[in-house]
Amino acid sequence: MTLLQTHLSTDPGAPLARRNPVAKLAAALIPSVVLLVSVDPVSSGLLLTAWLISVPSWGVGWPGLVRRLWPLGLAVVMVTLGNAVFTARKGGATMLEAGPLLITTESLATGATAGLRVAAIALPGVLAVLTIDPVDLADSLVRHLRVPARFAYGSLAAFRLAPLLAAEWEVLGRARRARGLGGDRNPLRALAVLGGRLFALLVGAVRRGTHLAVAMDARGFAASAHRTSARRPEFGRADAALLAASALLTAVAVTAALATGAWSPVLS
Amino acid sequence: MSEPGTVELRRHRWRTVDIVVASVIGVVFGVVFAIWNNVVYSAISGPIGSSPLAPLVAGIWLIPAVVGGLVIRKAGAALYTEVVAATVSMFFGSVWGLSVFMSGVWQGLGAELVFALLLYRRWGLLAAVLAGGGAGLAMGLYEINVYVSTYAADWKLVYVLSAVATGLVVAGGLGWLLVRALARTGALAPFSAGRTQREI
Repeated sequence: MTLLQTHLSTDPGAPLARRNPVAKLAAALIPSVVLLVSVDPVSSGLLLTAWLISVPSWGVGWPGLVRRLWPLGLAVVMVTLGNAVFTARKGGATMLEAGPLLITTESLATGATAGLRVAAIALPGVLAVLTIDPVDLADSLVRHLRVPARFAYGSLAAFRLAPLLAAEWEVLGRARRARGLGGDRNPLRALAVLGGRLFALLVGAVRRGTHLAVAMDARGFAASAHRTSARRPEFGRADAALLAASALLTAVAVTAALATGAWSPVLS
Repeated sequence: MSEPGTVELRRHRWRTVDIVVASVIGVVFGVVFAIWNNVVYSAISGPIGSSPLAPLVAGIWLIPAVVGGLVIRKAGAALYTEVVAATVSMFFGSVWGLSVFMSGVWQGLGAELVFALLLYRRWGLLAAVLAGGGAGLAMGLYEINVYVSTYAADWKLVYVLSAVATGLVVAGGLGWLLVRALARTGALAPFSAGRTQREI
């Protein structure tokens, strides 16, 4: 079991991939938050379609995206089925009846709406995050959103430990294997060994973090006055345009849902 | 700590080691989440996915909030650690997009609120279990809106209750055990959580 997924190659020169990280995240956050308000096929369907159309301009290839997103596909199916079974709307023709399980055409349509909405909430963020470099994100958070620099760069420093953690995970597994631990067929036993391996990883990481903090302090990291930055991220017109486009798109989807009468707020 | 402050100030100001270790805990859990997302959760969610019992296996999401709070013992630690964990899992191939980030903020707030109500003075088993329950409640309320949005009302209640149960037991109980075990290794020496240990 490898710890981290292989990197998905994206084209960093694509028109939307080049945008400011904060602009990308905000553009993805607008539809995700607005879709939380209502459960309806119109706004979810329109936004999902629009963001699917935008996939090539993020510089993300379809084959790679599909390979990355298969768990989302599975989750959408499960959300659809779960909502179809446990919804109160059971009108229409009966499709499946087995004891307490009852799926009708109306309940399946209800479930499909919920599944569609989950996909529409997830996709914008997936596209934005796939094309964001964490270093650029930390710079932009500090510059544009005024996130305290100690926290932004402190978490970035910890984030940079992730490849080391992945390597350490392999070493821990091999060391345990050499002692005869691991490789069990009994799932409970395997789970216990996995737990021990994870704990060892956590202890090593905390120790490493403590050393890292001392090293950072020795280089004046905690001194907050007169901090200068090596990189200057820019928030240009194209970034503002991406934000505006996302907001406009979301507004259009909501208006369409209201106009067709499909809009149905969750809290009502 | 460059300038000497009052004890009260020092209790609330984050040292570099607080920030880095909270982040590191967040990163470790974020990486674990990424595996959980792509391997374990997908495998388990087959049989029970989106049923009212689904939150019972979702308690792992809430652990960093409790562990972060118990280790750092500062205002905001639970929220910060949970948000870092969520963000990191997002970067390592989460398919849930920003929904993971929003979940992280919510769950972190749930735990943070409990620590705040205890005035950031209680860090024992009870505080851990209550904070886990708070995070579980937040998770349940968020997920009945997002993932099981069209459930009948009574099934939504069952869903929230099982989220609270998993928060109390898995996040609270397991999180507390984890911090105690961490303290015993001596890795928490720079924190007061590591100094409350009895000598062996």
